[in-house]
Amino acid sequence: MRLRPFTSESYSEGDRPEAWRDVLASVGLQPTAATSTHAGHAIAMRRSFQGVTLARLSAGPQSVSPRIDAAADHPLALLPLEDGVALKTAAGYQIVAARHLLLLPRDGDWSVSFQREMRAVVLSVTSEPAHRHRATSQGGAVRVLQPGGFGSVFAQMMEVAAQDLDALSDVEWTALARSLADLLPTFMPQHSETASDRGGGASKAATLHRLCQTVERSLDDPDLTPVKIASAEGISERYLQKLFEGAGTSFTHYLRERRLQRTSADLSNPAEAHRSISEIAFSVGFNDSAHFSRAFRQRFGLSPREFRQHEAERQTASAATEQRGWPQQALAQLCSGRAALVRKTAAPFNAHDPESADAPRHHHLAADAARVHWGYFSHSLPPQIEIGSGDTITIETLTQHASDDPERMIKGDPGAESVFHWTRDRKNVDRRGAGPLDASIYGRGAGEGFGVHICTGPVAVKDAEPGDVLEIRILDIVPRASRSPEFEGRVFGSSVAAWWGYHYKEFLAEQNAHEAVTIYEIVDDADAPYARALYSYRWEPQTDPFGTLHKTYDYPGIPIPPSSVRRRHDVLDGIRIPLRPHFGVIALAPREAELVDSVPPAYFGGNLDNWRLGKGATIYLPVSVPGALLSVGDPHAAQGDGELGGTAIECSMTGTFQVILHKKNELTNQPFADLTYPLIETEADWVLMGFSHPNYLAEFGAKGQSEVYATSSLDLAMKDAFRKMRRFLMNIKGLTEDEAIALMSVAVDFGVTQVVDGNWGVHAILSKRVFDHAPQN
Amino acid sequence: MKHHLLPVSAKTVHWGYFSKVVAPALTLKSGDRATIETLTHHANDDYERMIEGDPGAESVFKWTREHKAVARRGSGPTEGPFIRGSGEGVGVHLLTGPVAIEGAEPGDVLEVRILDVRPRPACKACHAGKCFGSNVAANWGFHYHDLIEEPKPREVVTIFELDTSGEPFARAVYNYVWTPQTDPDGIVHPTIDYPGVGVDHATVARRENVLSKVRVPARLHFGTMGLAPSEQDFVSSIPPGYTGGNIDDWRVGKGAKMFYPVAVPGALFSVGDPHAAQGDSELGGTAIETSLTGDFEFILHKHRDLGGTQLEGLTHPMLETSDAWSVYGFTYPNYLAELGANAQLEIANHSSLDRAMRDAFRKMRRFLMTVHKLSEDEAISLMSVGADFGVTQVVDANWGVHGTIRKNVFRCD
Repeated sequence: MRLRPFTSESYSEGDRPEAWRDVLASVGLQPTAATSTHAGHAIAMRRSFQGVTLARLSAGPQSVSPRIDAAADHPLALLPLEDGVALKTAAGYQIVAARHLLLLPRDGDWSVSFQREMRAVVLSVTSEPAHRHRATSQGGAVRVLQPGGFGSVFAQMMEVAAQDLDALSDVEWTALARSLADLLPTFMPQHSETASDRGGGASKAATLHRLCQTVERSLDDPDLTPVKIASAEGISERYLQKLFEGAGTSFTHYLRERRLQRTSADLSNPAEAHRSISEIAFSVGFNDSAHFSRAFRQRFGLSPREFRQHEAERQTASAATEQRGWPQQALAQLCSGRAALVRKTAAPFNAHDPESADAPRHHHLAADAARVHWGYFSHSLPPQIEIGSGDTITIETLTQHASDDPERMIKGDPGAESVFHWTRDRKNVDRRGAGPLDASIYGRGAGEGFGVHICTGPVAVKDAEPGDVLEIRILDIVPRASRSPEFEGRVFGSSVAAWWGYHYKEFLAEQNAHEAVTIYEIVDDADAPYARALYSYRWEPQTDPFGTLHKTYDYPGIPIPPSSVRRRHDVLDGIRIPLRPHFGVIALAPREAELVDSVPPAYFGGNLDNWRLGKGATIYLPVSVPGALLSVGDPHAAQGDGELGGTAIECSMTGTFQVILHKKNELTNQPFADLTYPLIETEADWVLMGFSHPNYLAEFGAKGQSEVYATSSLDLAMKDAFRKMRRFLMNIKGLTEDEAIALMSVAVDFGVTQVVDGNWGVHAILSKRVFDHAPQN
Repeated sequence: MKHHLLPVSAKTVHWGYFSKVVAPALTLKSGDRATIETLTHHANDDYERMIEGDPGAESVFKWTREHKAVARRGSGPTEGPFIRGSGEGVGVHLLTGPVAIEGAEPGDVLEVRILDVRPRPACKACHAGKCFGSNVAANWGFHYHDLIEEPKPREVVTIFELDTSGEPFARAVYNYVWTPQTDPDGIVHPTIDYPGVGVDHATVARRENVLSKVRVPARLHFGTMGLAPSEQDFVSSIPPGYTGGNIDDWRVGKGAKMFYPVAVPGALFSVGDPHAAQGDSELGGTAIETSLTGDFEFILHKHRDLGGTQLEGLTHPMLETSDAWSVYGFTYPNYLAELGANAQLEIANHSSLDRAMRDAFRKMRRFLMTVHKLSEDEAISLMSVGADFGVTQVVDANWGVHGTIRKNVFRCD
């Protein structure tokens, strides 16, 4: 009755196909013959009871077929989520839309292909004596249940149950498993009602499905006629009409309904706000505005204009600011690619001189508006510079919190002034975050602040390819002193107890929720450098130079005029914070999405916020895209494990790095072989980074950039850190699983990295000292 | 100041529970010191190395069909028929004590200083002078339902030897997979479900050369130290709580000072669960469980004297070391009061780091505001930039996150 969680993160790359095969087998599936077994990121959650297994699968594209099992005679029930699947049977291909339940005989000749991502719920019932209904589906046909009616009820029950598998008690799960097993035979072939779905029915349905897709693609043609569609599909118009009649509709009615649905979707989508109503109507084939308005009102009860206003108001009202990142309701924009990147011209870079390929060179990357990207990572950004493996590079980084006290941290500093420049007429770095450029979700500003860090780069590494590992050694970190005449040479930082902080929802009783900014000075004490607080202020609603009001700290880089806040001195009197200079963000561009929010860290590095990433430390990151595309930012003077209030002492700093490329075929026997996560090496320790969702982009697909904020948990991050460390000890240190677990229990320290970056982190620290000695006699 | 000695024997231990109704094994005054011997409840994983020839250990672990020296093990029922044995293993730690402190009253705080910690050497001739411990990857471990190798699931015992000739470290001697063991009363234990069951080494397969390249740096400490709670007469020793108990923080070693709120008259301090080394999280379920002897000093802080000291408002265990303070957050800070009559078993269904982190944050905020007189905004800023939160354990039902703040932060200008 136990849960059986599975994640590919537990396994080294070579072991993954076999482990995944086992998961598929447990629900009566196997990889389709002649296709390769999925070896990428995959997770599954399974629970069984007396032959009933319900599983939720999430993995990359692949094709699956039945695993012939004589003991099992109930069909498999498979429910694709999110995306449709291609069902291949003897009769040919059929596209099955998402959330249509498939009933698949275990002895049938079929395969189901997930073209993009595999996200499905599978119910497998093997016939144990416990189940009262004996099924006789041997030789039964593949069936696709149309939505509606009992099939939908059953499918939804499967889906909801699969979603909550881990929340059910044993008793609840047992009852549920019994019900699922009892209900499944209800779908067994009963000839009278399913005849039309079988044999020729299947191909009819397939043709109709194809016709609908053609219609969908041709909506913008105002002269779309049945004849056109029919001839495009090579059937007669009469047959086409008959097919639609068979489905209880007519071609004309269907076409109009689809057009109206598309306009209503576009009208309620903030990303389409810049298009006029008639443009939208025209784009789906309504070439007469008056006719469109009439039809729309008839269908939806509101005129298109009223409808659009109504929707806009509804969305503003529900736009919760409690969660960072993309709100769920706006994800459509992300999927539709409307948030596409505006490419900027790259600064001309020092091309790597092939003549001196062997001699490491030193490079310098200054921070200015043309050399930073703000709040996001992207594999489409043109590199600022290309360097060779072994080269060193000095990278200037700026804290996005410099604007909390522009006099101390921006004024007089040409680089900072260039990046932060924002007046009514000009904003040097427009995009801040991975959100839409037109700020059509919350209206905060370009990029919507879905990601906040000023990242310098990207730096391309010559010859880097996906599968390689990039080693980044931090040789030095130097704070960036103030250039403002009044404060010349002194170093300042800012820490914000922000709305995304861990404390924010539970201030002590007498206080209202508020954000507080504390400005620190870094004192280079000969004994031990430290930070002390200078003053603090509470955030007051700020109007940015473009006139947008920010009630909370919801958009980075808004210059705070000293007159707009009340500074309180005498804060943290007598307290000295020991320094831990480090970079919060060190990232290689992720492969999954075009624009990735810089806040949640994951397998590609990013906003790790681990203070051990300071001078002398090395980080190893898996390369996901050609050139690796390294970006650095979010410099911190000091941070505690947890980063509780939401930020560290954010302080502009300049780092010097040596970058070494390890090619995929040279990784054997290296500690960073088999790397799918950020690995930190310090003088004394190995530090492995675990996250709530180690690859949230792959795990949640399109929803990732929102979901990761909603579902973070230290319990999940702890599990991930455990699995990573087990893998490291087994694959890199050659221990057995039993040895690895014993060692973790007695010598590995797990700590809280951060609870404020969406994807919460737990790290595991292994002292190198443990392995310092040769085998004992 | 008087120095007392509390040797370990069947008469000076209680097994698997804290209790306000057990008669004190020793009574002393504030300011007194005591040398207290403790035994690991895992000693019977290798009788030869950890019990045989040691009169104290033999007296405690003695269990034949006719005579079970310490019958009750755990806070469960003591009337049969038993599923696992008397006390039903609801709590497993061998605790020496209790030590009563004269004049201690609810509302006071007891400070316990650990002056020294020493391992307890083996007595049997062939191992004499050596020190051994046992680590069990057990059914309550974090890994147990997430194994990748067969057979699944399985429990594994690894025996370690502690080398104190130089910088102390432990190395593995051998390991074995637990097989069902039959106790002298005829009850079969298919998993490690009852403490002190002797392992018949004829039934297990020893594997040598385990962790052969590994030296585990020693961190001698007591996993379980605390006072009797007031809520119930017998309280399982497994979940830590507001009076301490099974905190399992390896920093509670030599030089440490622990502070506990007193819940019952006399305070009733008990100590056990000695560990030679443990990592933060105690992932597999146990540390290197090794019998140890400690020298302790007890200082009673009366309720009326707490104001203006670092103990003001203390309602939970706190650690002070030479360079830091730590507060302990739990899934349920006082699970006995919060979860009702069935709390001792119910707590295992609620384990969560997320709640423990929340609790640690609140306790650290309170400490900084009450003791260091910071405003809430100051406390939160300081926590963000200067306090470290770590995973204490994920195996003791009431999971723990500790918050640590370094003392040098408060060095005055």
